[in-house]
Amino acid sequence: MTLRAEIAVVARLDLAEVLRSRWLVFCLAVHAVLAATFVLVGLRESGVVGFTGMGRALLSWTHALLFLLPLLALSATGQVVNSARDDGSLELLLSHPVSRGGYFAGTTLVRVAALIVPLLVAMPAMAVFGALAFGQDVPWGFLLRGMAVSASLLCCFTAIGLCVSTLVRNQSKALMLSILVWVAGVALIDFGLVGVMLQWELPPSAVFALAALNPVECARLALLSAAQPELSTFGPVGFFLANKVGADALLLLGIGWPMLLGLTAWTWSLGAFRRRDLL
Amino acid sequence: MRIEIQGLGKRFGRVVALDGVTIELPAGSRTALIGPNGSGKSTLVRAPLGMLVSSGSVRFDGVEAGEDRRALAARIAYVPQIAPRLAAPVRDVVRAVGRLRGEPWAAVAAAAAALDVDLDALGRRPFRALSGGQRQKVLAALALASGAELLLLDEPTSSMDPKSRVAFFGLVEALPPATTVILSSHRLDEIRRLVDRVVVLAEGRVAWHGGAEDYLAAHAEAVVEVQAAGEPAAAWLAARGFARGTAGWWSLSLPVAERAHLIAEIGKRLNGEVRDVMARDVERLQPQWPPQPQEKP
Repeated sequence: MTLRAEIAVVARLDLAEVLRSRWLVFCLAVHAVLAATFVLVGLRESGVVGFTGMGRALLSWTHALLFLLPLLALSATGQVVNSARDDGSLELLLSHPVSRGGYFAGTTLVRVAALIVPLLVAMPAMAVFGALAFGQDVPWGFLLRGMAVSASLLCCFTAIGLCVSTLVRNQSKALMLSILVWVAGVALIDFGLVGVMLQWELPPSAVFALAALNPVECARLALLSAAQPELSTFGPVGFFLANKVGADALLLLGIGWPMLLGLTAWTWSLGAFRRRDLL
Repeated sequence: MRIEIQGLGKRFGRVVALDGVTIELPAGSRTALIGPNGSGKSTLVRAPLGMLVSSGSVRFDGVEAGEDRRALAARIAYVPQIAPRLAAPVRDVVRAVGRLRGEPWAAVAAAAAALDVDLDALGRRPFRALSGGQRQKVLAALALASGAELLLLDEPTSSMDPKSRVAFFGLVEALPPATTVILSSHRLDEIRRLVDRVVVLAEGRVAWHGGAEDYLAAHAEAVVEVQAAGEPAAAWLAARGFARGTAGWWSLSLPVAERAHLIAEIGKRLNGEVRDVMARDVERLQPQWPPQPQEKP
């Protein structure tokens, strides 16, 4: 059996697991509730940093997603491998002709798909609904940008979650670590950065470099780079971003850095999964 | 499939699970792994599957276990002690294993039917919704239908009802003679029916390795129970060493080898006075230990 066929078998079985556990439905429901909230509340002709109507609703929604998606991804994947190890399903599956890499790849594909598909369905659906129900123009460029950035962020935190579930055998500890990673990603690094900036007057490039280390911040910058009026209204760092880095580079960074970080975490966890005891 | 295990060692932190285990099992042998909890039986069953990082060497037909795990796994079937609680439907689990091993559904369904499981009827139910016994039967059916050259069975009938256990014995006995079987078990009935040799593990080491008959002779004891009416029968039973119980029952423990002779004697002496006779084998808690080994490990 080829590696591709092996991955397909594992993915199909894992998809049945995911469907039975209602994860896909849960993700869709979360997106639907958020979308409905932002469309119904946000579709007004008031302006927020230059955004109006649909643009404003999308910007607000994608910002909410920046906080929510890492949590969804970490909670969906932070206990995948260790729970499979504990309940014996890993032992069962790998007693058959399946390579460890095939199992890991198949599981990853399903978990990424279970998180990304609801996002890719809900975002355009919300935009189309807003256009039909409220007669708003759809900012397709921003929508695509938001989808790409959100998908990249999901991939990143899905890989980090898988890494946690591979490296931490105890499920409770893995859950705690996942929550810590999320808190660090969405809040602590920002607070730390603000503290550093208050203590030392760092040049804008240093502030940008420190902020960009955090994939959530990276994604936020990529979204804000589409804002009108320009980022230069946000002070010296914003001026640096707008004039020295540029919107395209920020978008590239907002998609590329989380993907790279995710790939690194995934490769590391795959290596650990191949080397360590499965029981 | 011939198995050569040389100096197999495994530690879990400070706990030594296996300590230099060395055994050779010829192709077609049927071996029981016996030992108290924590003696390393399950670890020894799992190590050849490549699930644990261990020291030493495990060779199958002369080929090192780690060389091509996937190819090797296709030749080995495994029934775990506790079946996992998968959320996927039964049919998806069976089909997934079928695709990996090239096992047709019909073959698995036939093996499952022999174990009193209707795979078609259960197909849509989540695997975890089955009882522990049903899940174990499905996994046993998958292993038995695989045509594997080596069967690794970790207490495979621990959740099965007596009828299914007997059916399982029949299916294992019907395997091709070249099929090697390693069975981790505490049950004397499994040892008697399924294996021809026994490996006793204690604290991760091979404490004894020899023929199943020798092991049973040292460990098993027969209990014969007789329900008889009338004073002559009672007097004969008392004289023969039976202990009186309730409702006219008498019981006697004796070596397994003397069981058949005693039952024949009861039939001859107490003909017409016996209402019922039961014979069963139990494991002695303080056996004559260690028995003389027939083979060196």
